[in-house]
Amino acid sequence: MSSNMKSHAIDISSLKRDPRALNMDDEEITLKVNDLRLRYGDKEALHGINMLIPKNRVTAFIGPSGCGKSTLLRCFNRMNDLVDGCQIDGEILLDDSNVYGRGVDVAELRRRVGMVFQKPNPFPKSIYENVAYGLRIQGLKKKRLIDDTVEWALRSAALWDEVKDRLHESALGMSGGQQQRLVIARTIAVKPEVLLLDEPASALDPISTLKIEELIHALKKDFTIVIVTHNMQQAARVSDYTAFMYMGDLIEFGVTDTLFTNPVQKQTEDYITGRYG
Amino acid sequence: MRISVSDWTRSGSPWVWLNAGAVAICIIMVLGLLALIAVRGLGHFWPADVLSASYDQSGQRSVLVGELVESEFVPAAQLRDAGVDVPAGLEHMKRDLFKVGNRDITGADFVWALDDHVTERSYPAMMFVAERREWGNLYGYLQAIKQDGELVAQHDGYAPGPEYDALWQNFQRRISRAQDLHAQIEDIQKGVIGSINYELERLRLKQRSLELKNVTDPQPYADIEDRRSELNAEYEELQVDLLELSNALNRDSFVAEVADGRSVEVQLSKVVRAFLPNSMHLGDKVLHYAAKIWEFIADDPREANTEGGIFPAIYGTVMMVLLMSVMVTPFGVIAAVYLREYARQGFTTRVLRIAVNNLAGVPSIVYGVFGLGFFVYFLGGNIDDLFFPEAKPSPTFGTGGLMWASLTLALLTVPVVIVATEEGLSRIPRAVREGSLALGATKAETLWKVVLPMASPAIMTGVILAIARAAGEVAPLMLVGVVKLAPSLPLDMNYPYLHLDQKFMHLGFHIYDVGFQSPNVEAARPLVYATALLLVVVIALLNFSAIAIRNHLREKYKALEM
Repeated sequence: MSSNMKSHAIDISSLKRDPRALNMDDEEITLKVNDLRLRYGDKEALHGINMLIPKNRVTAFIGPSGCGKSTLLRCFNRMNDLVDGCQIDGEILLDDSNVYGRGVDVAELRRRVGMVFQKPNPFPKSIYENVAYGLRIQGLKKKRLIDDTVEWALRSAALWDEVKDRLHESALGMSGGQQQRLVIARTIAVKPEVLLLDEPASALDPISTLKIEELIHALKKDFTIVIVTHNMQQAARVSDYTAFMYMGDLIEFGVTDTLFTNPVQKQTEDYITGRYG
Repeated sequence: MRISVSDWTRSGSPWVWLNAGAVAICIIMVLGLLALIAVRGLGHFWPADVLSASYDQSGQRSVLVGELVESEFVPAAQLRDAGVDVPAGLEHMKRDLFKVGNRDITGADFVWALDDHVTERSYPAMMFVAERREWGNLYGYLQAIKQDGELVAQHDGYAPGPEYDALWQNFQRRISRAQDLHAQIEDIQKGVIGSINYELERLRLKQRSLELKNVTDPQPYADIEDRRSELNAEYEELQVDLLELSNALNRDSFVAEVADGRSVEVQLSKVVRAFLPNSMHLGDKVLHYAAKIWEFIADDPREANTEGGIFPAIYGTVMMVLLMSVMVTPFGVIAAVYLREYARQGFTTRVLRIAVNNLAGVPSIVYGVFGLGFFVYFLGGNIDDLFFPEAKPSPTFGTGGLMWASLTLALLTVPVVIVATEEGLSRIPRAVREGSLALGATKAETLWKVVLPMASPAIMTGVILAIARAAGEVAPLMLVGVVKLAPSLPLDMNYPYLHLDQKFMHLGFHIYDVGFQSPNVEAARPLVYATALLLVVVIALLNFSAIAIRNHLREKYKALEM
């Protein structure tokens, strides 16, 4: 066992984790994926995924490029609807109602399931307007309320102190890390239930990455967070549960510490020890 | 070291030279064009010296007074054929064109004379030029001023000195008085009386419309009649004022001796300005020049457009282009948004794009014909039937006008805006759209709040191209609303302020009209150049302002580095 430990790329014990043991049976479930299949034209990209995403936890998707982890993430807020020729079977239940059901208001769904993308994509507006955008879309008009929410969102995204004096300057003048935190602030300003993060730190420098990771820790008490990452150390650092995907299949899903220290599947072990990927 | 031709060719330098040469030729041609029209056009306003000479015309001697306009060489044979006595052995002879003015006296204000026949040339300091409201310039010697037919001041007109200076100053004082009175009369006629006439016409139309609706209640008719008599009373009062003013205006006259020694008496009210070109200093000339240029830009035309300014044409051009931009932008943007964002990309959209591009290649006169047939006759005729039956049989919108001209040009330029907007829309990064959609915005909200603002610089590029094309277009306008002289500007103080149904003047058409339809070709020619220069300047200014707006937008919606 100890020799097995050494071969692992990640030393979980060094991560100063919450020692409380996690168990899926005790969790409240936010998202339930039932036999989800997704096809781009003739090519099937997800072959029947079943999984549960627990509430107020960070769930990480890891796996090699092209394994379908981003595709799965984009199913949760129906971002794949924008792709031509994309067909989806199966269901995803958000609080027991199917997001792919009939008569679902996609805009409403996306308000409940927010998303942050790989590269920071602030709008070419002021910092304030970026954060207020989602609120204005919802028809909010009261300036006081918007002001308060913008401040709350920026504080939650640990950005307030850096930008409070230049709220009305263009967001495009910020650094990449700031921009990504602004995008997170913009997303949480509409108070979604779920926060989807699609490789949020892959375009950032190490210091900015650290800040984002700290932010994820802080945000999980308010939001259910799903994060896709290429970086296994990052998954180990920030997540409570980890799903390993490979070639459109969910290979293994479990508590992060267990998955990294004692994987059940051979493929998982090969991947986390760096034998392929 | 010698380099062989094949090596040189392979090195690529011939292509560099070829390309650079082509660019150089383009630049030289553009600059040459601008220089030519600038020199020819702007030179016209310079107060040239006035020559007095003896002119020997086949044995008859006469005095020739005028400005030298240009010289050219004519083949001697041609002159011999025309019966001119040309010394043997001469191949060419120089011929000069003089502007002699005094059209009311001599009948023609330009004279061609062989250079050899014009002798004893001198530039008398006392020679004065009077620009008049009609009959063109007067050249001569000022001899007397009369007030109510009585002699006020007199002089022989030739000898300089304090006496003459006093006469001259008196003359200038009276000219500026006459100018003031003239301006007052103009104000009343164009301003107040114009408004009254406009309101009277509206009352007439209102009454006619009541009649057409078979209204029997006498009350509205009585109201109209009351208002009409009020206006007529006002009008009568103004007429009295006008009569007084014009009596005062016609008080003075002056006597001048002209080239053939005759003395002529001219009403001072006809004089716009008078000056002594031969005794003017450079500074005076520059001031005079500036005043003339300003007059050209800011005044109404006189004498069948061959004198005065071209302000209404500038105004009409700018107005038409602005209206065109206002009409073409929404059209083009909406079409492009549909094609790029909503329509399913496929065979149909491809065909539509080809059609749009071909539309840009249709000759402009075809648009003119379409505008006349569809907008003016069909739409305009129906609008008249529906909304302006009281004005019939005279058409309101059923004839060419500002609105139809702008709409025709908007149609002509809409492909450019569509293509530029589509280009801009396709360049908006997908990530930004997704960012907006992920926040719960619908597609329409994303378009309006994020995509279109970011595409606005591209839209402005389309509008700039549209302006560049539309501002210089003349052919279609001749069919749908341009006239050689419009009595009033399309935007004025009379309700509804913007008169879309009015005909208007346009610089491009003005060039054509002055250059080719003018009764006085020699007088009109420099104005053609000057107007052409002004047209170029106006288009450049319109373009520069559009470019400034675009650059501002670009700065604001700087595309993300993605």
